[in-house]
Amino acid sequence: MGDIAMRRLSVCAAIVVLAAIVSACSQASSANTSPKSDTDQAKAGQLVLVKGGTFKSTKSNFYGNSITLPDFYIGQYEVTQREWIEVMGTNPSQFKGNDRPVEMVSWYDAVEYCNKRSMKEGLTPYYTVDKSKQDPDNKSEYDTVKWIVTINADANGYRLPTEAEWEYAASGGQLSHSYTYSGSNAPDEVSWNWRNAGKKYLSGDWNWPIIESNLNTTKNIGGKKPNELGLYDMSGNIREWSWNWYGDGLDNSSGALRVVKGGGWLGDVVSNEVSYRGKFEASGFGPDQGFRVCRNV
Amino acid sequence: MMMKWSKKAVMTVLAATMSMGMFAATSSAATDYWQNWTDGGGTVNATNGSGGNYSVNWKNTGNFVVGKGWNTGSPNRTINYNAGVWAPSGNGYLTLYGWTRNSLIEYYVVDSWGTYRPTGSYKGTVSSDGGTYDIYTTTRTNAPSIDGTATFTQFWSVRQSKRPTGSNVSITFSNHVNAWKSKGMNLGSNWSYQVLATEGYQSSGSSNVTVW
Repeated sequence: MGDIAMRRLSVCAAIVVLAAIVSACSQASSANTSPKSDTDQAKAGQLVLVKGGTFKSTKSNFYGNSITLPDFYIGQYEVTQREWIEVMGTNPSQFKGNDRPVEMVSWYDAVEYCNKRSMKEGLTPYYTVDKSKQDPDNKSEYDTVKWIVTINADANGYRLPTEAEWEYAASGGQLSHSYTYSGSNAPDEVSWNWRNAGKKYLSGDWNWPIIESNLNTTKNIGGKKPNELGLYDMSGNIREWSWNWYGDGLDNSSGALRVVKGGGWLGDVVSNEVSYRGKFEASGFGPDQGFRVCRNV
Repeated sequence: MMMKWSKKAVMTVLAATMSMGMFAATSSAATDYWQNWTDGGGTVNATNGSGGNYSVNWKNTGNFVVGKGWNTGSPNRTINYNAGVWAPSGNGYLTLYGWTRNSLIEYYVVDSWGTYRPTGSYKGTVSSDGGTYDIYTTTRTNAPSIDGTATFTQFWSVRQSKRPTGSNVSITFSNHVNAWKSKGMNLGSNWSYQVLATEGYQSSGSSNVTVW
């Protein structure tokens, strides 16, 4: 089978939208939201089936690793403000817009969203959250929340991707072309990054005051080219929380920081690379920090 | 330098200092690269001169940083400069300023200032280049950085008395790096830019500095 034919077949197989979820999301509405198009509604809540396997991308930190991931679902888009409001009722985002990704959310906020959305949709929550004591595995000197969050591995509810899942999906899974960024070697083709997310295109070195005065912002989801699996904005727009602790290894049981992936509109372009391991206190939040959801198959 | 945070962030981002501003950085000598920025408040007239010279006149500003230096910082660099004019009226620093990544650290060696002498969590002193500097750390919480929003530490050496200006002087940066290290303050392994800067905040003034 030719490469193109093979790819088309695989992409068709890979993009399985969970109709029930789309339906649930498109039926929901909020007094805080403005009228929206059918296209916009369809975007919200879509999950893509990612066929599991070993890492194909030579750019991945996990390449050559013996890890074999099972199939999983991942959001085709970053969680939008509309989706957040429908579940949580309020909108913490700095750059308001129903179809923009939610930001200013901590890792704990994202965990709570996952569980609340699961319950709203009749799914079994994936996380158990103990707020009564502080997590001894959390070594952060800045995180004052430190809830103990454990997983219910077999639950069908929403959850954050693991670092491995995120990188596997961002690099195109079994369809990977080993791009540096998710879906391309040209960052501006697939990502909203500090150079292209403001009034004018910025060149030169990264410089915060210039970025700020250029009025950089998040953008509506899905505005750039998708990757090999049809996933949008895996590189850029906002950084995305993963489940994992940051550390020397790729699967740490404790730490001070959680891994964030994909970079956003604020940090240097290197952080938009699929392999870049960003990190942030679980209690941290910023206008470039959001997430996308996953579910078990 | 704060972005326009929503209310949630404003409560935690109180450690606003004058970070990441207009500067010129080159790979070898402090002569080539120039950027021009203010946060929109007041007037900042900056001139990118030749031979490592820059001059700034500012009036009723918000926040700005102007400087010259190097794209890639070094822990071993001796930074020479001559501040022929240094006349802040209000808040301003004459400072060596830079970043490391991995770990993400913003550092300052402040030789002179206007009305406000920066301070922080006191760690000790270091003697260098004819003066004694107090060492401080401060923390910036959920603040913009080259790695995206981050919580990171600032290292400070602040001269106990304002350094006289108008003659050729040096900052032997390794003295500060080693002193910081002895206090458990370790810079990162990846060096971003390093500049001799004039920073101003809600003030007026003028400076004319040559860096080499």
